Amino acid sequence: MYQKKTGIVGIIITIVILIILVIISNINLEKLSYIENVVSSIVMPIQNGLTYLKNKITGNTEFFDDITKLQQENDELKAKNAELEQNLREFEIIKSENTTLKEYLSLTEKYSDYETKAAYIISKDISNYSNVFVINVGEKDGIQANMTVISDKGLVGHVISVTSNTAKVQTIIDTASTVSAVISSSRDTIICKGTLEENKQNLLKASYIPTSANLVGGDKIETSGMGGIYPKGIVVGTIKEIQNTKNITNRYAYIEPAVDFDKVETVLVITNGTV
Amino acid sequence: MKNTIIVVCLILVFILLYFLQVNFFNWFTIAGIMPNLFIIYVLFIGLFAGKRLGVPLGVLFGLLLDFFASQQIGASAIMLGVVGILAGILNKNFSKDSRITILLMTMGVTAIYEIGLYITNYFIMHYNIEIIAFLKILLIEILYHALLIIILYPIFQKVGYYIEESFRGKKILTRYF
Repeated sequence: MYQKKTGIVGIIITIVILIILVIISNINLEKLSYIENVVSSIVMPIQNGLTYLKNKITGNTEFFDDITKLQQENDELKAKNAELEQNLREFEIIKSENTTLKEYLSLTEKYSDYETKAAYIISKDISNYSNVFVINVGEKDGIQANMTVISDKGLVGHVISVTSNTAKVQTIIDTASTVSAVISSSRDTIICKGTLEENKQNLLKASYIPTSANLVGGDKIETSGMGGIYPKGIVVGTIKEIQNTKNITNRYAYIEPAVDFDKVETVLVITNGTV
Repeated sequence: MKNTIIVVCLILVFILLYFLQVNFFNWFTIAGIMPNLFIIYVLFIGLFAGKRLGVPLGVLFGLLLDFFASQQIGASAIMLGVVGILAGILNKNFSKDSRITILLMTMGVTAIYEIGLYITNYFIMHYNIEIIAFLKILLIEILYHALLIIILYPIFQKVGYYIEESFRGKKILTRYF
């Protein structure tokens, strides 16, 4: 009887632990900032008092004043640097705008030429290591393997197999996916792949970046048209993070896809998309 | 007749688990990692009904999963078949009466399944090799499975021994040692 009771208690405790783990691991920490505020408003006066006392005793208040000044100066410099980076970025965009304007115009026309078939996502892959989903259109609707799948925001992926009523789509964030893309401002070609890295599973890893390429965070990435699957000029995403390495040839960047793969429900299959 | 009904029920439970996996566990995740209920399920079948049922059902479930949503046909089928074989081996060598044993079996089998699948996919699908990221995901998945086993163990035992009685009858030995 005792064992049975402890068994049930154990199960309840495990369920509670599981729910707590799921909540904590998925919660948006920014939402907890009000708790942080409450805690800091309680702790900070005590902390300040203790720091002041400590400084009085050790006689190093001047040292801390200097640090505050330096911090202020550092913040100002950082702000200036960010402003300059922003200016540089704008300059690059304006510079490339002239050369790409015609191309953009033709792309817009090209997009309107595409015949698309709307589809709903009906099932998603159950694996933690891949990102494939099933849509509710298939051979009967004219869908074939290797057709490009887009959403209103940008590139989603391509069809890898079809049945008469459904089709499997490999998304661009799948670890086996590779997309040849170009940086829209500088027209440098890069290769975007899905990644398993922690907190970056919804991002793309851009590699094979030309050594001469000037990468700026926020730059738009679009398909290059090379590779035989994706037509040219479809928006892939924007550069989120640049990782410089000791060897410049190995540097890589993380691309934030234009499509939110956690929320995407409706997609368009380009049925007449020729590369 | 009774055995046939059990097999039909096991297939129906698989369909139920599929919907649970796709709809519920898709968002009920630990750090974005969902469990793989089918590993636990095939292990359960193999342990209690024996590998003669565990292997074919594992292969069948794997094939269905491959058809439903995977990138290539066969990888999950092979690996779930392996889980069925492992379950049979574990059943011969270990007692199922201990929660810890079942827990360790699940953890080990999960690791073998996922590593096997990852290697298979590497060769077939040319996955990028990201060992550290893969291991992090695997560890969370193993932890998730361990928690599920602690919760599901009483049901495992009750239903499992019922299936075992039906399928193996007098052949049951391990429970009495």
